[in-house]
Amino acid sequence: MNTLHRRQFLKALGLSSATLPFIVGLPSLGLAAPARPRQRLVILFSPNGTIPSNFWPDDIGKDFKLKEILSPLEPFKDRMLTLQGVSNKVRGDGDSHMRGMSCLLTGIELFPGNIQGGSDTPSGWASGISIDQELRNFFQSREETRTRFGSLEFGVGVTDRADPWTRMSYAGPNKPIAPVSDPYQMYEKLYGQMKDKANLSSVLEGVREDLKKVRKLISPEDRRMLEEHETLVRQMERDLAQSGKNPLRLAPPTLELGVADQNDNVPRLSRMQIDLLVNSFINDMARVATLQYTKSVGMARMKWLDITDGHHALSHEPDKSDDAVAKLTKINRWFAGELRYLVEKLANTPEPGGEGKMLDHTLIVWTNELGKGNSHTLDNIPFVLLGGGFGFQMGRSMRFDKVAHNRLHLALAHAVGHRIETFGKPTLCDGGPLKLG
Amino acid sequence: MHLLFLSLPARAASSHDGRSIYRHQCAKCHGIRGEGVKGKYDGSLHGDWSVEKLTRYIAKNMPEDAPGRCTGPDAESVAGFIHDDFYSREARARNHPARVELSRLTNRQYLHTIADLLRSFSDSDPALNRDRGLRGDYSNRIAGPEGKKQQFDRVDKQIEFDFDALSAFAPTSTNTTRVTNEFNINWRGSVLAEETGEYQFTVRTPNGARLWVNDEETPLIDAGVASGSDTEHQGALKLLGGRAYPIRLEYYKAPKDKQANVSLRWTTPRSTEMTVPSQQLSPVKVHPSFVVHAAFPPDDSSVGYERGVSVSKAWDDATTQGAVSVANHVVSQLDRFAQSKPKDSNRVERVAAFCETFVARAWRHSLSSEEKKRYVGDLLKAPVPIEDGVRRVILLSLKSARFLYPNLRDDLRDGFTIASRLSFGLWDSLPDRELSALAEAGVPTEDKIRDQARRMLKDPRAHSKMRSFLHHWLHMDSVEEVPKDAALYPGFTPETVADLRASLDFFLDDVVWSEASDYRRLLLEDDLWVNERLARFYGVEIKGAGDFVKVDADPKQRSGVLTHPYLLSAFSYPKASSPIHRGVFLTRNIIGRALKPPPMAVAFKDADFLPGMTMREKVAELTRPQACQTCHSVINPLGFSLENFDAVGRFRTKDGDRLIDAISSYTTDDGKVVEFKGARDVAEFAVGSTAAQEAFVEQLFHQIAKQPMAAYGDRTRESLRETFVKSEFNIQKLVVDIATLTALRGEEKRTVSKSKPLRR
Repeated sequence: MNTLHRRQFLKALGLSSATLPFIVGLPSLGLAAPARPRQRLVILFSPNGTIPSNFWPDDIGKDFKLKEILSPLEPFKDRMLTLQGVSNKVRGDGDSHMRGMSCLLTGIELFPGNIQGGSDTPSGWASGISIDQELRNFFQSREETRTRFGSLEFGVGVTDRADPWTRMSYAGPNKPIAPVSDPYQMYEKLYGQMKDKANLSSVLEGVREDLKKVRKLISPEDRRMLEEHETLVRQMERDLAQSGKNPLRLAPPTLELGVADQNDNVPRLSRMQIDLLVNSFINDMARVATLQYTKSVGMARMKWLDITDGHHALSHEPDKSDDAVAKLTKINRWFAGELRYLVEKLANTPEPGGEGKMLDHTLIVWTNELGKGNSHTLDNIPFVLLGGGFGFQMGRSMRFDKVAHNRLHLALAHAVGHRIETFGKPTLCDGGPLKLG
Repeated sequence: MHLLFLSLPARAASSHDGRSIYRHQCAKCHGIRGEGVKGKYDGSLHGDWSVEKLTRYIAKNMPEDAPGRCTGPDAESVAGFIHDDFYSREARARNHPARVELSRLTNRQYLHTIADLLRSFSDSDPALNRDRGLRGDYSNRIAGPEGKKQQFDRVDKQIEFDFDALSAFAPTSTNTTRVTNEFNINWRGSVLAEETGEYQFTVRTPNGARLWVNDEETPLIDAGVASGSDTEHQGALKLLGGRAYPIRLEYYKAPKDKQANVSLRWTTPRSTEMTVPSQQLSPVKVHPSFVVHAAFPPDDSSVGYERGVSVSKAWDDATTQGAVSVANHVVSQLDRFAQSKPKDSNRVERVAAFCETFVARAWRHSLSSEEKKRYVGDLLKAPVPIEDGVRRVILLSLKSARFLYPNLRDDLRDGFTIASRLSFGLWDSLPDRELSALAEAGVPTEDKIRDQARRMLKDPRAHSKMRSFLHHWLHMDSVEEVPKDAALYPGFTPETVADLRASLDFFLDDVVWSEASDYRRLLLEDDLWVNERLARFYGVEIKGAGDFVKVDADPKQRSGVLTHPYLLSAFSYPKASSPIHRGVFLTRNIIGRALKPPPMAVAFKDADFLPGMTMREKVAELTRPQACQTCHSVINPLGFSLENFDAVGRFRTKDGDRLIDAISSYTTDDGKVVEFKGARDVAEFAVGSTAAQEAFVEQLFHQIAKQPMAAYGDRTRESLRETFVKSEFNIQKLVVDIATLTALRGEEKRTVSKSKPLRR
């Protein structure tokens, strides 16, 4: 194997990062004020459709009333945009849940594959990139919007299984991205190296003292190597001190310890993940985030709402089942409450080094893989936009006539200056970006 | 010793003349002490020629500007002077007395020590038996003809199946059950990594598959979802050579899948992509090993073996990354390591006890109560979560010189120091529990050390170290690809090369780990290990298919490692044999003579020669200049003796249209002329040559001790060789001798020594 071949080989293996020196590999946390106001995107997913009658406002325009499900968001009504009449029009392989999930952010067909749903033909992964990753790549391609991670994918109670029902983010065709459901794992990803540095700093003096001590025990000819070693340790101490001069804008959140990744802990896990998400934004580690509650066909049993049925089973109940409708309304309202927690945090936090609050620079898109659970329709996907910074005219209830959701993705792209002609399946982009300004 | 002593006064008289002749005629180019003169003769004068040979050479060629001015008794006295003053090995040892140097862990030692340190906290692995392949559990989900779900298991040599052509449910020819629509297969066992580096695994299938390697939780490849035309899935990881790792491949054929096939392939640090060969797979399952990922700068190996004689920023950084990754790994499974539960009331005590054990094992000695307090207790008392306390203990212990320098306390003659020398000598790793227990009891007797060495020699780590020595000795560690012209040698594929390496390893293992462990067999044996593919390529007949078997080759043709087709191919050009590469290898590694680097770089270009010339004639022509002949008079005859083998190591009688001439005259270092008719003559010469035996002993010694042999006493080489010969050339016994000697630092063996004391 020649050298070039070897290097390409290592590159192909993606192992070059392992060769980075320890200190250089640490995050650069330069937090100067941005030249242009920041724009951030959060996509929040909850599964199994909604109860349309308790979700969509009756009126169109600025004067509208929030119904039961959206009522927790009342204080932010003027920062909100409800988009009725947006459809996932992607057809092809896979059942409605699979396409609902894996075409939701990609807007393009699934590959044929071996995963058999409850109906239709079996399928594989989506055949294209998702909009969150498209925007991430756009931000990462430019110096002024580049961040350490670009995007972060949070999950809450997502089962540990990879299939088209559990993945909505795609780095490209056949490249699903697994959300991180364990807040401790996410904490490690965000702050682990900092912790390593702190622990290392605390022991280096001991290492050096020890070297000095053992140096006296050995013969003069051999001392030179230990002296050099000591110099290296001192250099590392200096490097660590230097790299510690760029502290985080905000210290990592203190996580409650020992919260297992289990159904009953979902409310606590949700808050931990939201705290981490906002913290990572304050420290400008990413400009894009997804927050995925369970998965398509998710079977969360929301005992904390006194509901013992699984979410997906409930969603199949007919409209005339008042009990099921009441429970599903409660479930969806709970998701709205979690959204409110996120929105409130952003609304109460000043934009780091910028104007206004973080919510003024963050757009949250709340979505779902189905319009309605028992019909499995991909029409009227419950899209709610909240926040600011994208130039959309908020505080409105809008209604479209079955427009393809690809056009919403185009609107998001154009709003950050990424002027792509089409996104996902090109024929579903006719008419261009939805006009939300 | 005696001989040398007696000969000194005799030569003293003449060497006075020699000194003055040297000053007048030689020093202007060679320097006063043979150190060389820039622009004249840069190299220093040292080597292994006898006085007689030096005399002849000087008489014929020196001084270079006026040959013939220094002949007869003058040439003899100059030769005697330079030989005794600085040229010979003895003179050099006297001028630069060797000593045991302080050294840090070599990279190999670091990686294996960390892996063994962490492994010491879980159950030991079952021994791998000779079975090869992976165990496959087959089951179909739909009732078969008997109305029952079908299940069976079997061992598959390698994973390369097309179930459209071959029924998964027909392990025997009598069972004619058709492939059912939906089935899965779960293969498990171990994968054996031959060398340290990055391994890229590839699973090729249009169906669903998941692959776990050295990690039982997270799959390396998750292709449970088949999707589109993406049928090749890859994942890479670093593995340490000489170890087995757990592997599991889950395969699933869905009812509507139109095709059904799967193969498990890999790219190793040495080879291009191929199906994972059966000899690298075992149905026996082992525990995962912890592998430090950090990139270490290469160790110094300028003296022929890897030593830890320098530190650098890159190295320091790598040790930091290593320590951090170990700390995080331990904390991620703290309760397993500490044998505690999260809610134990005495969890803190258990964690503290674990930390003390960890540091003691890492430092290879027991901790005093003051050390326990300083390196464990105080750190755990810091006002941070206990996990961070543990991290700090691990960081401090693994960044400490007490971990990084295995012979830091070489002055201590205690059980721990001796145990540590023994385990690094035999395993490149730290002592195991049994050895540590012995160390704890005080300074062991030489017999006890010898017993331990014999026991430890049976461990896979000793086999791994022995293999790395053999690979170094045979240059197998520096061979990368063995490219051959596809038109001239059709069928010689990367798979053939991997098979050949395996064949040589089978041979080496067979000889070394047999009871006789006879070094002579390595050179003289006419066995060849072949599998089906090699048998076909080399025209050997074997019964059965798949596994490697030992076949007898024609003893007139084959002679041990000298004629193993892997080495013959590796020391050849893509289109032709290379007597020079083969000759250099035989000179240095088999005959044990020193060679200097070529004075000028000459490339072999086939187009420079007349058509119809044999390779032998071309090489003779190319190396005709006097400057070349200094070394090529030795190299060429040895290389020519292997001309009966083509560039892929097949026996031949013709080179083109011309008959092969493999007969050559070789001049020994003391001036005798020996005729070689072929490889076997060279092997027999080597077996009987003291210099060759010494060279083998010395190389093995250096691999074990990683210190200069001379530092262990002037007589070490000679006495080890004598014992080796007396033991009927038993390699295992030699290893035990060397390991014991170095564990005791040679002190017990040394009787007369003029060299300075060892460190301290």
